[in-house]
Amino acid sequence: MREADPLARRLLFVVGKGGVGRTTIAVATALLAARRGARVLAVETDGAAALGRALVVLRSQHHPPPGIERVRHLVIEGQAALEEYLGLIIPIRRVLRAVFESGVYGAFVTAAPGLRELMTVGKIWYEVEGRAGEAEAPDFVVVDAPATGHGLQLLRMPQSAAEAFGVGLVRREAQRIVNLLRDDSRTAVLAVTTAEEMPVSETIEMLATLKRLQMPTPTVVLNQVHRSPCSEAELGVVERAAQVASGASRMLLQTAAELARTEARWAASGEHQAERLQEHVRGAIIRLPYLFSEEFGPIEQLKLTGALGDVLCPPPADVARPL
Amino acid sequence: MNPDLPPASPRRGGGLADLLAGHRVLVCVGSGGVGKTTMAASLALAAALSGSRAIVLTIDPARRLADSLGVGPIGNAPRPVPLDPFPNAKGGSLDAMMLDQKGSWDALVERHAPTPEIAARIRKNPFYQQLSETFAGSQEYMAVEQLGALVASGRWDLVVVDTPPSQHAIDFLEAPQRLLGFLDRQVVRWFVSPTGGFGWSAFQAMNRTAGFLLRRLEEATGLATLGQVGDFFNDMSGLFDGFEERFHRVMGLLRDPATAFLLVASPDEQVLGQVEFLSGRMAAMEMPLKGVIMNRVHDAGLAPGLERLGDAERRDLLEAGLRGQQPDGEDLAGRLLANLKAHQVRARGDALRIENFRDDLGLDTPLLQVPELDGDVHDLRSLAGLHRYLLAEASATEVDGDAQIRS
Repeated sequence: MREADPLARRLLFVVGKGGVGRTTIAVATALLAARRGARVLAVETDGAAALGRALVVLRSQHHPPPGIERVRHLVIEGQAALEEYLGLIIPIRRVLRAVFESGVYGAFVTAAPGLRELMTVGKIWYEVEGRAGEAEAPDFVVVDAPATGHGLQLLRMPQSAAEAFGVGLVRREAQRIVNLLRDDSRTAVLAVTTAEEMPVSETIEMLATLKRLQMPTPTVVLNQVHRSPCSEAELGVVERAAQVASGASRMLLQTAAELARTEARWAASGEHQAERLQEHVRGAIIRLPYLFSEEFGPIEQLKLTGALGDVLCPPPADVARPL
Repeated sequence: MNPDLPPASPRRGGGLADLLAGHRVLVCVGSGGVGKTTMAASLALAAALSGSRAIVLTIDPARRLADSLGVGPIGNAPRPVPLDPFPNAKGGSLDAMMLDQKGSWDALVERHAPTPEIAARIRKNPFYQQLSETFAGSQEYMAVEQLGALVASGRWDLVVVDTPPSQHAIDFLEAPQRLLGFLDRQVVRWFVSPTGGFGWSAFQAMNRTAGFLLRRLEEATGLATLGQVGDFFNDMSGLFDGFEERFHRVMGLLRDPATAFLLVASPDEQVLGQVEFLSGRMAAMEMPLKGVIMNRVHDAGLAPGLERLGDAERRDLLEAGLRGQQPDGEDLAGRLLANLKAHQVRARGDALRIENFRDDLGLDTPLLQVPELDGDVHDLRSLAGLHRYLLAEASATEVDGDAQIRS
């Protein structure tokens, strides 16, 4: 049993560099939580659309995965969130329109880096906490946070805001958000990486930043882990056999040996990176397999969801597991 | 291939050798994580080995690559890269420089601020600090600004530019425009008083309605920093005078026929999906794509005759070859077969996507394929090892023959 089950919190941030499978993992957590019966809200931010696309593909399957009907999707645009927020502050519509149309507003919005991020997190807070009691309010909100640098900006802004403004409305709001983000009974973080040098280095940096921000300790997922198809001794056997064989048998053995060697090398360098990462992670790192496929489609998505589910929600020990 | 030897003279019309020889600026664009930095470094090295004075401007290299290029995270100056591993190099030189975003802003302020006092005041301004570190597009702008300075110096025959990691390849070209829009005179005028009577604070006091709105905005967002913004623009106003002009000069440089844009991509479906959009936008900006490097291409390396064999026949062949051997575990042939099939399926997916992509791209743009290499490319020799893929368009069999480069 894991100490902190990230699926049992109200809010889950999935963070990681582009290309490591962050969106896939976010979708997997949404499906797993929904399968447990939660009303799920899957969130992505400015400009991203991969999460929405993945959900559409899954829904359009002949047999949609169980629980997907309980997954809603939301794109939060920082600009729109800001305007929505200002609408609450300045309730007079005419005045509000004047604000939006003025050059000052444009200047103001661009001149305040981080304002959009702040509003994005504010909107997430609202979905998690602000709608309590509503029939449709989600039980589980998963955020596919943008690629690391920007994603961290999202988590950092409320804190900067709370520190920058001594008093007033913003200070109170920012503090409320900070409290949610830091509360490990409500919020969890899942850091996704592959076992390669750059992604692991960035993840190590990110773990340090999250710690500085006093965010909950993340669950770390190592995605796309290669497995050697045979042992070192067997590789030797195959390579020797290739030397003595002849004709098509020899050619096939040579190629098979080379490809097995390639996988073995990926596995070994991945293991090295995994060890480097483990030095910065207290608990166990979740490993998900590298999937060979013509393209990454719904079958692969569900395979990975299953693999993550085996770790995050293992069936009770006395129940026989189907193969 | 022996990395000690300089690359074989490339075939005419094949690969990127002509592109390197015929341009003064090479900009590598592409989304993050596709190996842009490595390709930029490898191309600059190729130019240097063929006798050019080349420099690579890198953005965020992996540590070991940075080490072998001799560039660190600090310092914003070109450093010579010793070409000792290549005794047959034809007298060219290679420099490497890492773009340090914060450092570039400081240098810009230093260069253009009217007095040292103003420069110091700008650097201390919290808004400036935030802008130079986090403003979307400022890294791209700085890369463009730095590129202009390198070309203007006349010290190099070829400048190869790696671009900041971004979600979309086009960001590099559009982000500077956004920054320029932000620094637009119209906007700046709200904050700066050009004639002394219409300053930010004066405006706030004079215009009651606007003042009310702005106070509400300040209150709503807590942006007491608006004062800082005003100070910043006041101090920077001298800098902005030349800003637009410099920007347009550099954009002109990017449109120059002596500048080539190269897309670095991987056969990943998400990456390729963007390309049609990208090449359209680039053509509209008069910055056409002159080449594509398809990196991390998977290849199972099966000889043509073996590709058509069915599972049962392959298994027979493998088992026949392994007969009499003593493997550790069960069904070694089955595991080898499964691994082989997995690689084949993946390679087929890549090939299909690349084929579709090539159709969209048009015939006259060269497309070079670089296989996925197991092991980081991080030293000069392995960078030179990439030249066989980049300089001459390798046929499929050549790629098969030496799909493994080792450092």
